[in-house]
Amino acid sequence: MSRLCSGVTALTLFDLVKRSMRKNIKHYYLYFFALILSVVLYFVFATLQHDAAVAEQGTGTMGTAFQVAGILLIVIAGIFIVYANAIFLKRRSREIGLYQLIGLTKRAVARLLILENMLLGIMALIVGIAVGMLVSRVFLLLLMKLIGYEAFIEVSFSTAAVTQTFFVFLAIFVLTTIQMVFTVYRNSLLSLFNSEKQGQHPRKPKSAVSAVLALLGIGLIVFGYWLSGRMLNAMIFFNMLAVLATVILGTYLIFRVTISWLLYRIRRNKNGHLGLENSLSLAPLMHRMKSNANSLTIITVLSAMTLTMTAAAYSMYYSTERETQAIMPFDFMFENEAGLADDISEELESNGISYQREAVETFVVPAEFEEKPAPFLERATDIAVLSSEQLQQAGLDVDVPANGEASFHDVSVSTLFNSVDLPFDLTFQDEGPTTLSITEIAQYNVLNWSFFTSQIVVNEETYQSLKAQLASETGDSALQQMDGFHIAEEDMAAASAIYQQDKYKVSEPHVDYYSSYEGSVQSNGLLIFIAGFLGLVFLISTGSILYFKQMTEAEQEKQSYATLRQLGFTVKDIMRGIVRKQAFVFGLPLAIGLAHSIFAIQAASFLFRTDILFPASVAMGVYALIYLVFAVLAVGYYKKTVKAAL
Amino acid sequence: MTTENKTMTQQTTKQSVLQAHNVRKSFGTRGNVQQVLKGIDLRVAEGEFVGIMGASGAGKTTLLNVLATIDRATEGTILIDGADISKMKDVELSAFRRNQLGFIFQDYNLLDTLTVKENILLPVSLGKMKKQAAEAQFQSIAKILDIEALADKYPHEISGGQKQRTSAARALINQPSLVFADEPTGALDSKSASSLLGTMADVNKQQGVTIMMVTHDPLASSYCSRVVFLKDGNVYSELYKGDKTRQAFFQEILNVQAVLGGDSVDAL
Repeated sequence: MSRLCSGVTALTLFDLVKRSMRKNIKHYYLYFFALILSVVLYFVFATLQHDAAVAEQGTGTMGTAFQVAGILLIVIAGIFIVYANAIFLKRRSREIGLYQLIGLTKRAVARLLILENMLLGIMALIVGIAVGMLVSRVFLLLLMKLIGYEAFIEVSFSTAAVTQTFFVFLAIFVLTTIQMVFTVYRNSLLSLFNSEKQGQHPRKPKSAVSAVLALLGIGLIVFGYWLSGRMLNAMIFFNMLAVLATVILGTYLIFRVTISWLLYRIRRNKNGHLGLENSLSLAPLMHRMKSNANSLTIITVLSAMTLTMTAAAYSMYYSTERETQAIMPFDFMFENEAGLADDISEELESNGISYQREAVETFVVPAEFEEKPAPFLERATDIAVLSSEQLQQAGLDVDVPANGEASFHDVSVSTLFNSVDLPFDLTFQDEGPTTLSITEIAQYNVLNWSFFTSQIVVNEETYQSLKAQLASETGDSALQQMDGFHIAEEDMAAASAIYQQDKYKVSEPHVDYYSSYEGSVQSNGLLIFIAGFLGLVFLISTGSILYFKQMTEAEQEKQSYATLRQLGFTVKDIMRGIVRKQAFVFGLPLAIGLAHSIFAIQAASFLFRTDILFPASVAMGVYALIYLVFAVLAVGYYKKTVKAAL
Repeated sequence: MTTENKTMTQQTTKQSVLQAHNVRKSFGTRGNVQQVLKGIDLRVAEGEFVGIMGASGAGKTTLLNVLATIDRATEGTILIDGADISKMKDVELSAFRRNQLGFIFQDYNLLDTLTVKENILLPVSLGKMKKQAAEAQFQSIAKILDIEALADKYPHEISGGQKQRTSAARALINQPSLVFADEPTGALDSKSASSLLGTMADVNKQQGVTIMMVTHDPLASSYCSRVVFLKDGNVYSELYKGDKTRQAFFQEILNVQAVLGGDSVDAL
């Protein structure tokens, strides 16, 4: 006996920590996994941020984008780890209570937990940084590919990245330590022993109040959606805030009241004949809806934001080429500079670059729309007039309008005309008004954007009569000779380099198709990379949080599964109900998040001139697919639990 | 053994619900095998209320689990309603439990998220019973067990005795051939316990429901029509209540237990 006692007293706190960690590996792996994952992703990000190749490519915007994304990443990682730690502590509360029961002081228990947390933290840092080093190369290659950088890439070990990761996770470690100490000191022994059983009991909703709130939730979301399609007016900023506020509040009410209210009504109609599947889905959902409302709302709103962000970024990246083409129909263009055009023709030839030089005539005149077409457009504007036949000859794919009709070309404002009814009138003020009917708002320019003016295209006959009437010999509305160049794809880079020489520079901006396409690919590539990376981090965090929650629920409901199996329900019968519950738990935030993001993308579609249905669907589809992996994992965990229950 | 043969001939007039022959159950792996049931023969006739008693470790719960198809016997045959459960597959066993058997547990094992009525109706949810028939069945059982007023309450809102009545109602809803009760009064105070046992005895007599109850409480087993004593994995002896009063039967049970040794102290 005395030997046993001395053995126990000889057990130091550190031994106890080691023992409890070895015994509780199952409980730890969840928290440990969350820690490692966060370290890996943050370290990869920090490595890229400090990488020489990225810095070299990067302009000012690149650095800022990385910094903003880095802060977001820290916030997400922090929330994720604190959340995982909360679940971890809840699962271990019985153990924490037991230590106190056998006589350890709160102080000693807290020290034990902190020591453990430190060990876990250090291990996670080491494992995470090691894994991060391995995978950062993959991410760097991906980034470089996305921004169109094709040199050989070598990832160098970045001390700065390690230090940065270390300090970020030191801060998070302090946070979790406070959380642990708080748990030990605040909770009574009794509550520690019962905390696994906690969960509120369902209460009958007060019918009138909840009916009103339930419908209000739906109403707010519908209103937000409705407003999101009509925000483009002078109050755009206020409108955006209103949409955000109504949709978020509506989402909260949906989770907090509407769903419970609907489920309660369904349940009441069943009058006790609930059936097995509902008993395993509807009933536990109602049971936990109150405590889950907050997290489901946050997950839904953040999912919607992530979906919108990645869908928009991917759409931009996807449509870069077509967007640039819409802005610049010619590879480069000279205005009234026939001499320079001759020079560059010669230089292109001497470099063996084949080209097509096209001459187009235009003149710019002041004009007025019939009425102010859209909130951000002025009635009066300068307009360049062009002939469709000439443009066709210059290799552009334009339709020939009827006499007296015109198509309007200006990609910088074309989407603002989306809500304008066609046709409308355009009037030129000369000696006596001349009116054209605009029958089409085209989604592409017919002159390179560096010439700034909106363009209209009329047929040759109308063009000649307008020219006779409006164009003058000299001055602002004088005829202008445009020389546009088309270059074959394989020579574009070389031709662009020639054009970019100072001797061809007449005015700012001195742009050509190729260099501006490269620039767009670079910035959009960076955008999609950062959006995708953050999206992935966010997706993994939310998916894991839902998965952890379901793991905890599965363990809490183990006794119910044992009872059900004993009553004669097979694993298959029980799983049917559980799958239904999972469809709800995972599907609802996804479905509502998707709906939100679809409306958000639609509201933001004025930013795009090209059709983004395909890229947006791809981004959302990929998101949903990865998200569903967590649902499948959760179902798998339940299946294991149900099988082991009896 | 001789007493048992005699009783079997006495009771053959009634149809037997359960017939177990030479049931053995061992736990552990080779080299460290522990035989818990050592060849038990048992027959339960329709309408009987059988109590199984014995000291801790005598094999009461193991026997119940094996007979109730929750665990498999290592050896022996078990017929319930003429069906050989030792030859059934797991899925068949589940269906069998759902349709033919009822269970009452010591810890009630009600689902917290369901109301009393939902809990009771759970076993019929996959069956072919029509909603109206199930409703009628629920009403009559709830009336017998005096829990009609609790239908919409959740388990956390009712007392232990009421929970156990709910559990009993759930066991009876399918009109099972046989109800297994595992220490049903183990978690109840004495008043709730005797009230529940009285109701069980009534259900047994009036509805003709066959019940097999495992208990170590002699007072609980005094409500039975027959008590089987187990010792070290064998049937040690049996007592029939016959026309005796419950008090007299209780005394008799105490006497056997005193001979059996060990358990009488912690039972009282």
